[in-house]
Order: sequence, then C-alpha cells, then structure tokens
Amino acid sequence: MDLRLTPEQQAFRDEARHFVATRLPPEIRERLRAGHPARKQDIVAWQRMLNERGWAAPQWPRAYGGAGLGDIERLLLQDELLRAPAPLPLGFNVTMLGPVLLRFGSEAQKREWLPRLANLDVWFCQGFSEPGSGSDLASLRTAAVRDGDHYVVTGQKIWTSTAHLADWVFCLVRTGQAARQQDGISFLLIDLRAPGVTIRPIVSIDGAHHLNEVFFDAVRVPAQHLVGEEGQGWKCAKFLLGNERTGIANVGFCRERLGHARALAARVVEAGQPVSANRRIREDIAWLEAETRALEITQWRFLCSAEARDDRSGVFASALKLKGVELQQEIAALLLRIAGPASLEHRSHAAAEPGDWSAALGPRYLFSRAASIYGGASEIQKDILARALVG
Amino acid sequence: MNFDLSDDQRQMRDSLARLLKDRYGFEEHRRTAASAEGWSRGIWGSLVELGLTALPLPEAHGGLGGSAADMAVVMEELGAALTLAPYLSTVVLAARAIELAGDAALKRSLLPEIAAGRALLAWAHDEAAGRHARRWIETAARGTGEGWVLDGSKANVLYGASAGMLIVSARVAGAPGDAGGRGLFLVNAGAPGMGLRAYRLLDGTPAASLTLSAVSARPLGTPGAAGAVIDAVVDAAIAALCAEATGAMRAAFAMTVAYLNTRKQFGRLIGENQALRHRVAEMHVAMEACRSAALLAAIAIDDPASCDAPRDLAGAKLLIGRHGRFVCQQAVQLHGGIGMTDEYAVGHTLQRLTVIDQLMGDADTHLAALADMAH
Repeated sequence: MDLRLTPEQQAFRDEARHFVATRLPPEIRERLRAGHPARKQDIVAWQRMLNERGWAAPQWPRAYGGAGLGDIERLLLQDELLRAPAPLPLGFNVTMLGPVLLRFGSEAQKREWLPRLANLDVWFCQGFSEPGSGSDLASLRTAAVRDGDHYVVTGQKIWTSTAHLADWVFCLVRTGQAARQQDGISFLLIDLRAPGVTIRPIVSIDGAHHLNEVFFDAVRVPAQHLVGEEGQGWKCAKFLLGNERTGIANVGFCRERLGHARALAARVVEAGQPVSANRRIREDIAWLEAETRALEITQWRFLCSAEARDDRSGVFASALKLKGVELQQEIAALLLRIAGPASLEHRSHAAAEPGDWSAALGPRYLFSRAASIYGGASEIQKDILARALVG
Repeated sequence: MNFDLSDDQRQMRDSLARLLKDRYGFEEHRRTAASAEGWSRGIWGSLVELGLTALPLPEAHGGLGGSAADMAVVMEELGAALTLAPYLSTVVLAARAIELAGDAALKRSLLPEIAAGRALLAWAHDEAAGRHARRWIETAARGTGEGWVLDGSKANVLYGASAGMLIVSARVAGAPGDAGGRGLFLVNAGAPGMGLRAYRLLDGTPAASLTLSAVSARPLGTPGAAGAVIDAVVDAAIAALCAEATGAMRAAFAMTVAYLNTRKQFGRLIGENQALRHRVAEMHVAMEACRSAALLAAIAIDDPASCDAPRDLAGAKLLIGRHGRFVCQQAVQLHGGIGMTDEYAVGHTLQRLTVIDQLMGDADTHLAALADMAH
C-alpha cells in the first residue's frame, strides 16, 4: 500500500503544473473558475498550446501526434488541467474519435484526420442519439444507403452537443437490416456543411445552447469516410464508450469545484457573516471533500489493478461514473446554495463578466442534471453493475 | 502508487479466512456470543498461532513489526466473520499505548506477553459524559506521595471483564475537555476501589463500565503528558475499525447477492427485479468508497507524510459510518423478514456496523471535526 508517486511521475506532474501555470491565459482560467463553460475560441487556442507541447492527445501514440502517456500520467495531466482550471482537449476529437480511428481507421484516414483532430483544425461532434434511440442506442434508424462511391444519409440525430460549433460529426448510421439490430450499424464521418444538413438549436433548462438536433436530408457522404467495415459501427461505438476509463470519475473537476466552494463560502456574506460561518454549509463541503478523496483513491486503485484493466463487464467504469456523477451534481447544488439569492438573476454565460461569481452557478446547477443522463444514464450504469454482480 | 497486497499479506489473509471459515462459522459465532465470557478462547488460540497477536508489535519485543496496512488485512477478515475476540482491545489499543508511552522495562515485560497471546488488556478511555469528545476526561488522577490513585468512571470498555490489566485515561491537570493534562495509567483487574459492570453491546461484543474510587494505578509514561499518545492510539483504532467494517459489509453484500439468486417470489428470482438490482449496484458503489476510505486510514497511520492524515482518518470514519449503515440496512431490507431475525447472519452485520459507527467517534463527530479543520 503506497500512495506516493514515483520520482518520474512527480516530475511529470510538476512539469504539467508549471506548464499550465505559465501558459494558460488568466481570463480563460477566471471564466472557468466562475463556472462558465469555456468558449470555442478559448478551447481552440488552449488545445493548440497543448498540442505544441505534445499534450493535446495524451493517450495517442507519438507516431500520430499523441503524447504516448500511460494511464497514470494521463490522469495526472488531466488533474492538472482541471485543477487550474483549464479547458480539457476536446473530448470528441481526442478521447472519442481519435482512438476509434487509431483502432479501426485506415492508414489514410489516420494520416488525414489525426493531426487535424489534435490541433483542433477540425471540430467534431458526436451523432449517436436519436429521438427514438436514447439508452437503447442500437435501435437507431438514421439510414445510409450506398450509391456508387457515396452513402446517402437520411434521418435525425438529437442531443448533439456543440453541433453548432462543429465542422464534422461522427455518426452511427444504419447501413443494413440484420437479425441483430447491432449488426446493421456503421460508423460514418459527415461534413456538417454538406448540402442537406440542418442544425436546429435545443435550449436546455439552464437557458443555454449546448445541444442541437441535426437533420440529414439525402446528404451525400463519400464512402471513404466510413470508419471500419460496413456493419462494424457498433463495435466502434462500444470501443469508444468503453475506452475512456481514465478520468471518467472527474475527480479533478470535483476537487476544483470544491476549492471554489470554499473560497466562495468565505466571500459571500449573509447578514454580516460569511456563509462559511454556517455549520451546515461547512459540513457539506467537508463531506463532499471526503467523498471526492475516497473516489480519487478508488480511481487510482482501479487504474493500478490488472483486474480493472481487463474489465469487460464495465463494472469498474460504471462504478466510477455513478459516483463521479453523484458528486458533481451534489457539488453543483452546494455551489448554488452558497451563492444563494445572488444566483437567481438570469444572465447568459456569454453576457457575464469573466469574474462574475454569481451568474454561472444557477445554470451550472441546472445543467449538472444532464451528467446522470448522458454517456449512459445512471440507471443504465446500475444495470451494467447488477448484471456483473447479481447475474 | 501501489494498492496490491504483498505476498505475505495475501498469505495471512488466506490463512485467516480459512481458519474462520472452518472454525468460526455463523453458528459458532452465535454460540460464542451466547457463552458466559462472550468470546472464544479457542479461536483466540488460533489467532495467536497464526502470529496475529504479535503482528503489530515491535520486533524487539517479540512482535512482527507489522504495519497498519497489515492490520487492515486482518481486521477485514475478522470483520467478515463477525469475530468476537479481544483483538482490537489488546493488540491495537492497549499494545499501541504501551509501545508509545511505556518505559523500557514495562515494554520488556508486557509486550512479549501480548505477542504470545498470554496477556489480555483493555483500553478504558471513554466516559459517558464525554460522549464522543475524545479529550473529555473527568476521571481524576492524583499523586499521593507513594503513587497515584484514580477517581471517576469509564464506559464501553471493550472486553473489560476479561482483561488482566486496564489502561485507564485520567486527568492530571486542567478541565475535562482540555488537550493538556491527560494521563494514562495501568490498573490491575480487581484492584481495590474498582467496580466493574460487564454487559454486551448491540452486536454481542463484551464490554464493561468501570467505577474508580481511589484505585491505585501506575502511570504509563509521564503523567499528564499522554495527550498525543491517546490521540495516536485512537487513530490506530479508527484505521482498524474501518477495515473491520469493510469486512462486515463485504459479508453483508455477499449474503444479499446470494439471497437474490435463491429466493423466489411471484414465480421468479427476486434478483430479477430492477429495483432490487439497482440497490445492489448502489451498495457496491458505497462499498468501493469504504474500501478506499479504509485504505486511506491505514496509509494515514503508516505513512502520514504521504497524505493529509487527520483529514483522511476523519473522512474514513465518516464515510464508513454513513455508507456502512446504508449497505447493511439495505442488506437487511433486501432479505425481507428473514433479515430481521437473530438466527440469520445478515442482521448481525447491521449490528456490527452500528457499533463500529459509535466507537472512536461517530460519523457526525468526524464530520464536525472536518468542517472545523483549516484548509
């Protein structure tokens, strides 16, 4: 039993910390600290700085522009970014599509896409969910019909985060009718500027525009943008969803938010007293810190164990996601409680000044409810756990 | 970073688990709890043979120099079998106090006896009026010129009636809640002026309350300067209890999963019901938090510089208290009526977790301490 990092790991962490401290523009940090989502230009600018250092794609092999980091170093880097807080490299590009291309893509696809994904020259979003296919993803119906060297795509995707900011979408489409519905699915890259694509915003309960509907009306997609073989899309999707074990618990994020909660509780005043004088608030912060600390250890335990590495049942990833989501949501609610009535006035993220501590917390609380819905709802995670534990 | 058991730890765990499986099944546990003394000298002898009474003691005094992480392995297995034995009281609490505060002669005479399983000691620190306040000591020690005498009372002294010697905390100076002025004293069982009332805790653990009236005592270490020792002893016990709790939870969880795969209602296994399946998933997530917390508590004892020891210990006891209650309550709930019965094991895990939460500061106490710690 040993919590200590090796000297090499410690040196790596110090280097990452130093890099973030000296390179991250203060106004980006301030925005994130106040609870606003990072803006597109900030995410792009920061990812390019990381890419220059070779850290934009921590888990890819060096030969394709990645950092080739092991699991522990990846998590150390992620924790340093979240701790700052700095934007993470765009997940769609780096932790979702990149690994799928590395595993299933042709050499030509890897050469074409990976450098642009790492440098965020192209912004991808994810087209999985459909109006009739949420948790039951394999029932999706968006059709891709082969026509010469093109696919003709018709259908609709929904809950597409950042489609309005994105250039391309990686999609699950139905290319055939098989006995098992999973077998007729393919993984296709689609240019969002192609004729026949329509993006319609969905405003969420936080009053903001993160989500979209994406309509495809006979969109012609060159067949070279098929990833893997036709009908193998479900394999790609399962790989994509299962491959992100590192960082799924979002411990660094929880820790940064709790640090903010402490700072805010000392600053917000109620009747001449700081909110931190309120024992109930102090205890809730302390409780969530203890939970976050334990989750951090759970995450390291899983990362260091051979059993978790070979986990095919998803039991480790599901346990981490369930607990991480619970904590993120509790912490978001706690921050709102600390801000109190000052958090009530509705202001858009865009209109808020970078240092405005009260504006973001209400919307962030409301949007935190999405964390137990996306990426496999908490009930789905519990199903996965129960299948492994009960049978 | 490394979270694997060493080969020695694995071997120790396997030997102990085998011993308890063979010789301390649930029926044996019930018989033991119902016996006059409330614990089994037979099992105790086996623990001694395995070297477990020597495990945490210094090698210079007949011990094996084991770490808190080693002890956690043992405590988890003892917890999983709900073992009744004066292990925590003698080997963790009393032995630790002697090791930290005793002079060379005392260590030489007592520690090898403990290591060999011949000496049973008890830790008499808690007082009813102090509730969970660790520093609250009303029991008074006064020097008489010839020695020291104690006046006061102690509560929930684990295995107190079986101990040949008790380590009693008493105040040499200051007011009841003061940090300074705390002392530790050795008192022989049956010393004149000491009244002892033996009883059982909710989970069957033998305990005793003491009344002390001019009881003559030997100081353990410098009288009045034992505060740090008391804190260190209680911290070691917290780490041990957290590990024991994870063992009891593990047992509760295993029983529950087995029951869900056996019991049929409405023509099918109850484990096919999503409400119950999801509860199992929630219990699992809670247990993972407890495992991590218990591990942190052990590391806080073994390598305090590698973590935030006071925070990690308090956090561990907090999470074990809260999640342990959840896990064992749900284990009873998922068993239905049978879970409420004394003759079925699962309810005994809830008894155990209830007791563990109340020992060495409950969840509320440690949460309050955390809330008041400067960051």
